[in-house]
Amino acid sequence: MSGDEPTAGGATGSVDYGDSARRPAEGGRLGWLFDPRLLLVAGGSVAVVALAGLVQVSFGTYSMTAAQAWRAVLDPAVLFDPRWLLNFLVGEELMRAITGFQGALPELTRETLVVWNIRLPRVLVGAIVGMNLAVSGAIFQAVTRNELASPFILGVSSGAGLMILLTLVVFGGLSAFLPLIAAVGGSVAFLLVYAIAWKNGTSPVRLVLAGVIVGTVFNSLQTGLFFFADDISVVQSAIQWTTGSLTGTDWEQVRMALPWTLVALVLSLAGARQLNLLLLGEQTAKALGMSIERVRFALSGVAVLAAAASIAVAGIVSFVGLIVPHVVRTLVGSDYKRVIVGCLFVGPALLVGADVGARLGMGVITGADAQVPVGIVTGLVGGPYFLYLMRRQQNVGDL
Amino acid sequence: MSIERVNATDRDESGGSNDIAGARGSDDAATDASDLDGQSLVLGYPSAPEPVIDGESIAAEPGAVTALVGPNGSGKSTLLKGLANQIAPDDGSVLLDGRDVHSMDTKALARKLGLLSQESTSPDSITVEELVYHGRYPHRGFFERTTEADARAVERAIDLAGCGHLRDREVGSLSGGQKQLAWIALVLAQDTDVLLLDEPTTFLDLHHQMEVMEIIETLRSDSEVTVVVVLHDLEQAARIADRVVALNDGEIRARGPPEEVVTEDLLSEVFRVDAHVVDTDRGPRVTPLRARHGE
Repeated sequence: MSGDEPTAGGATGSVDYGDSARRPAEGGRLGWLFDPRLLLVAGGSVAVVALAGLVQVSFGTYSMTAAQAWRAVLDPAVLFDPRWLLNFLVGEELMRAITGFQGALPELTRETLVVWNIRLPRVLVGAIVGMNLAVSGAIFQAVTRNELASPFILGVSSGAGLMILLTLVVFGGLSAFLPLIAAVGGSVAFLLVYAIAWKNGTSPVRLVLAGVIVGTVFNSLQTGLFFFADDISVVQSAIQWTTGSLTGTDWEQVRMALPWTLVALVLSLAGARQLNLLLLGEQTAKALGMSIERVRFALSGVAVLAAAASIAVAGIVSFVGLIVPHVVRTLVGSDYKRVIVGCLFVGPALLVGADVGARLGMGVITGADAQVPVGIVTGLVGGPYFLYLMRRQQNVGDL
Repeated sequence: MSIERVNATDRDESGGSNDIAGARGSDDAATDASDLDGQSLVLGYPSAPEPVIDGESIAAEPGAVTALVGPNGSGKSTLLKGLANQIAPDDGSVLLDGRDVHSMDTKALARKLGLLSQESTSPDSITVEELVYHGRYPHRGFFERTTEADARAVERAIDLAGCGHLRDREVGSLSGGQKQLAWIALVLAQDTDVLLLDEPTTFLDLHHQMEVMEIIETLRSDSEVTVVVVLHDLEQAARIADRVVALNDGEIRARGPPEEVVTEDLLSEVFRVDAHVVDTDRGPRVTPLRARHGE
């Protein structure tokens, strides 16, 4: 054994197995990350996010040039001041608790304040939501072995939507807890779907069918509730939640979603190997010793957590979770480790990009100072792109 | 059931579970090979009211090749799935070296027992090598990366399955026969003591059928792996197996060495064909003459 050689098994992947054993499938623990296609996807996506983010922070009621905006984003007064950074990331109270700093924070320029206080958090929330939805969709597509699966296939969106409507229309007093209620509604609907699908275990088809059943009933109830809304503003608010919107998102939303996002993303990366095995079919996975029901439920739970985190801050943004995994698979292949990592980049690129259209598009087209929910833009962009993928490839998803 | 008398050696069919391992093969049975023993198995599917297999016992001779044969729908795949713990038996038990497979940890079982299913699906874009590495799943902990032992097992499996020239090809670009070799390499990489193969040669061209047969023959001559294989082709079964078990209607109708099981009587009773069976030095040669109509 080469265990006594200090270099063996290192992360470089340069272990020599002789000529009969060439290399392990992964060159070292992180060797698979340095796949040129994956790097290209990540780089391209970061560029899109940066560009869209720059547009987002430059334009608005208080317009500035790109250079001004860039300077404001990279303002050393914030970037190199942990107090300001913590103030944004964890909130003022916690910042004071952590740093023990009691005085007034140093003054910032007007540009920096506008960018950091108002515009940047929206970009960040967009990126977080994009990541969550993309990863959630990727997981659900593997778990259900269905190329048309999205984060919302197992009843999550209908459960969340119903709870949103109930809260807005019936229990108006609870609207402060709307994000939480929506996320909980989605999770409960998912559990309900699982319970319906369960009969000596589940199967992908049973799960999808149960999702359709629960979705149909909940959507009807949701639509029915619209009739009881006596105020147009309630209806608008409801539509904003059920189509997904980043309007008015703030650091508050970043703080709310970030911890759950981190948990969900770490778990989904850890589960990538299980997802890969699920792609070989239930029988093979079982024959290789996977406790398939447990793994399937756990992975679905991770996906629901990611979806719920995004629902809590942005409502039900459609299409992102459906198309991003497809795009990523087309670009980096079907290995789920790469797919998940790719989703972490492409998801934000799509959502932050689409949010530019949602926030500024109406102003450009009609001159009116109005925003549309970002979910409308992702649908408008996503649909045709999906069509393009479908025309170009024989096997769209290669699942 | 007149068919019970088909088997000339008149083995005890009614309940003897160890007859295969016990009687004839004991002289060459390797002691370190694993022993798979299905006892009074009742196997069925939740959707069907009647069990497919109703109280049959089957024991795989350690280190040897046991072939399950029978007409379509005779329950041979069901029996194999039952042995592999893919279907939980309604009654009876499967013992692997004396331990009930149903109570074993799934990964621990997968380290001892491998199953090649009839239908295997995989993403088109993964390479043969990546596919074969999945066979190491039961040997790896949740966060463990592949080790040198994994790499060696994969190399050996790819070598044994003869698909070294395919290792970097994408699975989606392979022919049916090449795919089957890749999947066989996957179960070989699992490095199990018992290997269950469900119709590994069906739908393959002659060349790939022979490739698969040769892999099984290699395993047989090593006598370290206990193999149970479902085969459609009687001649193939006779040629490759140490023991043949013939099923019909979910019942075991005959079992024993190929030359005793593959007979004209069995063909007419179980497979419902008139045939000539000639003993050759490569085992019995079967020439089917005509299908038998009516009962």
